[in-house]
Amino acid sequence: MTPVISATALGRRYRDQAALEDVSLAVEPGTVTGLLGRNGAGKTTLMRIVAGQEFPTSGTIRVFGEAPAENEAVLRRMVFVREEQSYPDFRVSNAIEVASWFYPNWDRELAQQLLADFDIPPQRRIRKLSRGMRSAVGIVIGLAARAELTVFDEPYAGLDAVARQLFYDRLLADFAEHPRTVVLSTHLIDEVADLLEHVVMLDSGRVVLDAPADDVRGTAMTVSGPATAVEEFVAGRAVWHRQRLGARASVTVAGPLDFAAQARARALHLSLEPLSLQQLLVHASGNSADEKVSA
Amino acid sequence: MKTLVNVARYHLVDRTSYVWLPWAILAVSFLVNLCITSVLPSPQGDYTGGLVTIYIFLLICGALSMTRALPFGLMLGLSRRSYYLGTALLIVALGVVYGLALTVLQAVERATGGWGTGLHFFRVPWIMDGPWYQTWLTSFVLLVLFFLYGMWYGLVYRRWNVVGLVAFVAAQVLAALVVIVAVSTTNNWAATGHFFTTLTAPALTGVLAAVAAAMGLGGLTTIRRVTV
Amino acid sequence: MPLDEGTPLFVQIAEQLADDIVDGVLAEGARAPSTNELAAFYRINPATAAKGINLLVDEAVLEKRRGIGMFVAAGAREQLRAGRRKRFAEQYLDPMLAEAKRLGIDTDTLVSLIQGSGWQNGGDTP
Repeated sequence: MTPVISATALGRRYRDQAALEDVSLAVEPGTVTGLLGRNGAGKTTLMRIVAGQEFPTSGTIRVFGEAPAENEAVLRRMVFVREEQSYPDFRVSNAIEVASWFYPNWDRELAQQLLADFDIPPQRRIRKLSRGMRSAVGIVIGLAARAELTVFDEPYAGLDAVARQLFYDRLLADFAEHPRTVVLSTHLIDEVADLLEHVVMLDSGRVVLDAPADDVRGTAMTVSGPATAVEEFVAGRAVWHRQRLGARASVTVAGPLDFAAQARARALHLSLEPLSLQQLLVHASGNSADEKVSA
Repeated sequence: MKTLVNVARYHLVDRTSYVWLPWAILAVSFLVNLCITSVLPSPQGDYTGGLVTIYIFLLICGALSMTRALPFGLMLGLSRRSYYLGTALLIVALGVVYGLALTVLQAVERATGGWGTGLHFFRVPWIMDGPWYQTWLTSFVLLVLFFLYGMWYGLVYRRWNVVGLVAFVAAQVLAALVVIVAVSTTNNWAATGHFFTTLTAPALTGVLAAVAAAMGLGGLTTIRRVTV
Repeated sequence: MPLDEGTPLFVQIAEQLADDIVDGVLAEGARAPSTNELAAFYRINPATAAKGINLLVDEAVLEKRRGIGMFVAAGAREQLRAGRRKRFAEQYLDPMLAEAKRLGIDTDTLVSLIQGSGWQNGGDTP
């Protein structure tokens, strides 16, 4: 199947700084992809290029098979919700109304429902809304547009945990009913971990991880217990991290542990704890930093 | 085409800026002038430049269309080209309608002898004091011109920030200075004056229209690399 | 129901459904939750839920009826129980014996513990 987004050696330089460097990736249709990474990793730049709002300085970008910049055939099929969106001096209802003119799949009822769900007063001027409410307006537009490609760039600035969960739930529910391709960037990885089908991680403008989420989960385990038993258990395995406290040790090892290994760990009275997606990705970015140092 | 119309509609959601305010400000300016002339009439009629307020306001609207309204426009899946052309479509439409309104007001002013006080508010000597179709055309061109000029300020700011804006103004001042120096050093003031007195209003309108067209096309190329 | 991090999500989904079938909560012939229902309930991606369901379909625990949905196959319960009985020793018995050994509990004590707990032959579910 042709990827919805296809980047080949994509780069974006500003003077002496490279926001993106040699980025190649493909986003398959109908998937939810998490675009992860630290602040300044290049996530926003990548998404802006996908949305045609920013121009690459090297490499190519293809959305729905074509270059997105100034290409209305492509731009019409996507919606890009930014972290901080500026609006003209509109009321919320104005923005919603205008959006309905331009998005072919716009669902009015869904928009009204979402406004109510997020408690957004429709007649209020957007500039008078709190930061969280402004973010919620962006989310409402992003969801009600039902665009084939829906891109969210950390869209929850100012939203509390309850509102964020509401966003994830609504996103998931509408995604299930009306499949589309979703790209979501976030640094709150564990909150969205279960929603993701695919994970792409950027660090300093480069791709350091690009894998199905299922492959990433369970990639590492922390084994804790009496030091000697722990060392006996982890012998021969790739060790990521070691910690000792007196006679106890806590070692993080790579690779999923099969059933036999888990049983053996129990027999040795060792406790096993898998690394969360967030921890795994911190490790992935740490790895790339090490590689840079040693190179 | 439907897209361009929707862009025009998009701007018009802010009816306050595009409709009410320009005419309200013009009305205030008019009323102030009317009061003055009714209290202190002058024998040969009063000439005021109060009409310029509406043009200045449209200049501001032009700037705002490229600054405040652009980011959301681009979010809506519009290409910069469509956004620009849709905005241009709006001002052409407004130019026609507003120009007509000014023409009508000019006719009323002429018929009432300057609103009974000899005020020349809507009748600008030489440039907008002739037949109705000429007034309409000239008003239209001026409205579009001022708006486009404002758009340029907005675009320059978007693309090259404050530094660019300063450079833009400086360049214009410099160009004006160059012209003045050139005319002075070649002692051509008399010739220049003569040229302008022989220039007819329609000819000037034509020149302004050409300037507007050039500005319009220039803006289209400038917006292509604007990022929000 | 919280999902742990170690086993792949879709495997956990499959196991939860299997649990329900074994416990009789989800009866044979009954309609299994749809992909979207599971996704909404667990707050996971529908594709993951689909993978979990497919696992059970591959094992013939669930069967697909065209246009209607997924249903628990006849004999699924017994099939699952049989499979789990095989793993019972590995999953539950061995750890228990290891712990008993660690605490110095001998076989006789262990047996009387079991009998004393009121646990009947095969438990109270038939």
